[in-house]
Amino acid sequence: MTSALVGSGEGAFAAPGTASGAARDAASSRSGTASGSTTDGAPPQHRPRRTFLDRTLKVWAILIFAFLFTPIVVIVAYSFNTGRLLAAFTGFGFDSFGALFTKPVVRDAVLVSLKVGVIAAIFAALLGTFAGIALARRPGKWTYWFMGLLLLVAVTPEIVDAVALLPWLVFLGQDLGLGMFNNGIVRLVIGNSVFSIAVVTYLVRARLLGMPENLEEASADLYAPPMRTFRRVTLPLTMPAILAGLLLSFTFSLDDTIVASFVQVSGATPWPVYVLSAVHSGLRPEVAAVSSIMLVITLGALAVVGIVLKRAGDSSAEIASTMAGG
Amino acid sequence: MPRRRLPKYALALPAWLWLIAFFIVPVAVVFWYSFGYKPGLFGSHANDVLSFDRYLEVLTPTFFKTFLNTLQIGVAGTLLCFLIGAPVAYWMALKAPAHLKGLLVALVLVPFWTNFLIRTIGWMIVLSPEGWVSQAFQALGFNPVSILYTRPAVLLGVVYNYLPLMILPLFVAFDRVGVVLREASKDLGASPLRTFTRVTFPLARPGVIVGVLLVYIPLMGDYITATVLGGAKGNMVGQMLASQFQTAQNWALGSAMAIMLILITMGSIAVMGGLIILGTMPIRRRNRVRLQEVSV
Repeated sequence: MTSALVGSGEGAFAAPGTASGAARDAASSRSGTASGSTTDGAPPQHRPRRTFLDRTLKVWAILIFAFLFTPIVVIVAYSFNTGRLLAAFTGFGFDSFGALFTKPVVRDAVLVSLKVGVIAAIFAALLGTFAGIALARRPGKWTYWFMGLLLLVAVTPEIVDAVALLPWLVFLGQDLGLGMFNNGIVRLVIGNSVFSIAVVTYLVRARLLGMPENLEEASADLYAPPMRTFRRVTLPLTMPAILAGLLLSFTFSLDDTIVASFVQVSGATPWPVYVLSAVHSGLRPEVAAVSSIMLVITLGALAVVGIVLKRAGDSSAEIASTMAGG
Repeated sequence: MPRRRLPKYALALPAWLWLIAFFIVPVAVVFWYSFGYKPGLFGSHANDVLSFDRYLEVLTPTFFKTFLNTLQIGVAGTLLCFLIGAPVAYWMALKAPAHLKGLLVALVLVPFWTNFLIRTIGWMIVLSPEGWVSQAFQALGFNPVSILYTRPAVLLGVVYNYLPLMILPLFVAFDRVGVVLREASKDLGASPLRTFTRVTFPLARPGVIVGVLLVYIPLMGDYITATVLGGAKGNMVGQMLASQFQTAQNWALGSAMAIMLILITMGSIAVMGGLIILGTMPIRRRNRVRLQEVSV
């Protein structure tokens, strides 16, 4: 299927091979002089050849990037809507941002989201880090079971998680009388933790697997007790992955709508669930305004992840796969 | 390594227990509920009589229609994501200037990390009767169109929402192929088409599989896109099973739907995977023979 798509395109434009070949030679000699090397047998570099296909691909990519940003631009633009309803733009102003301070419902929802995000992130980072270290450094038969469990977590549709957790938390909280499971924040943290733990575990494991055990062995050979080796060697090595996992978990919880809308208790409604209920009852511009602020927070957290990973020596491709949740 | 008294998995034990307590057990409970029934108007579930009746109920046209609808949107959405995303990922990894790669990845990550619900609401604004699309149609002299709350709107929504999940793994895959092997293929006289079908694509294939799965699995279970953009006409399974828990209070039926959703998602992946393996077998066999000729 794929080869049919992209391949046939390349084939169609490969026909005037001689012409493009000449262009390629010209281009390569140009890039050769630009980089200062004159020999043709220099190590292979990316020779910029501008064929028709390349230009088509570029235009297509730009169009798709525009497509990807359309709704985001719309939301940010409509957050300056002074009208009563979100979808009907009547005038420009900053009124809608005031809702964060004047409307307790909005403010509380945002605070619940932030609080849950921080607790869930720390919790997931803690459990996930230990699990990831164990997976990478203490492999055994159990590794397959555990990886299988993580895979199961990753492929189960979120909606199934959500409908499964609701009766379970009700059972724990009401039938067994464990009061903590009736607490809104605890429920949301539990709801968000499952997926986050899987992601942090995966990231930490991947980072440690990419690093030989030499340093830890050296530390042990130098008579460092296991705890000190862990604290002074293993932990610092893992730090970029832990930090990335922490921030990713935070943004996961901040964005979580599906599980939260099932497990939430009235009085501790997180922001996305508030928005989802507003979809049915009529959206107001403050939804866009607060969402824009949340977007800035999320992007700030992700920028930090990107910088941390870049400092740790990851390539853009590695960062991309990390940020897509492993 | 010094010997330890603790078992190897000791450090993973907290995470393990947590995942069992709040993932395995709840899903197992749902599985158990799916064999029960709804006792009367005010009960949500009962399991004193076990049967497959809820599954048979799910298979009746009323509910199964939604499953078929979801399957269609799932397959069409995944295919569209691939057709749209693959050229973008290919360009980003192999044609775009190297110093821009980081920026381009960031540009895909921003929409990916924008709240799913908010992005969808953004489309709701665009597609609404007073939105841009409708106004553009009116300016061209057509009647005002209402795309919102139809199946095309849901399809647009899911393609948009899951596109980054297709582009990112494909980018990683194409990026791993790198320039060197492609140059070698060209230097050995292969046409661009041959380079693509014999070098680039085979090496990128794992990424293609990851991308397709990353899009297809959550897409089948999508709840938000259909809720916001679909209305009554663009119903999907996620919404239907959620309503069994939230409004109809029929947990037994909802559980059967959840299990059915997992079965259909996994089953369709197995079928598609099998078909692809069978379909490409002749091509791969041919390639293998030629490769041996070359090596001799």
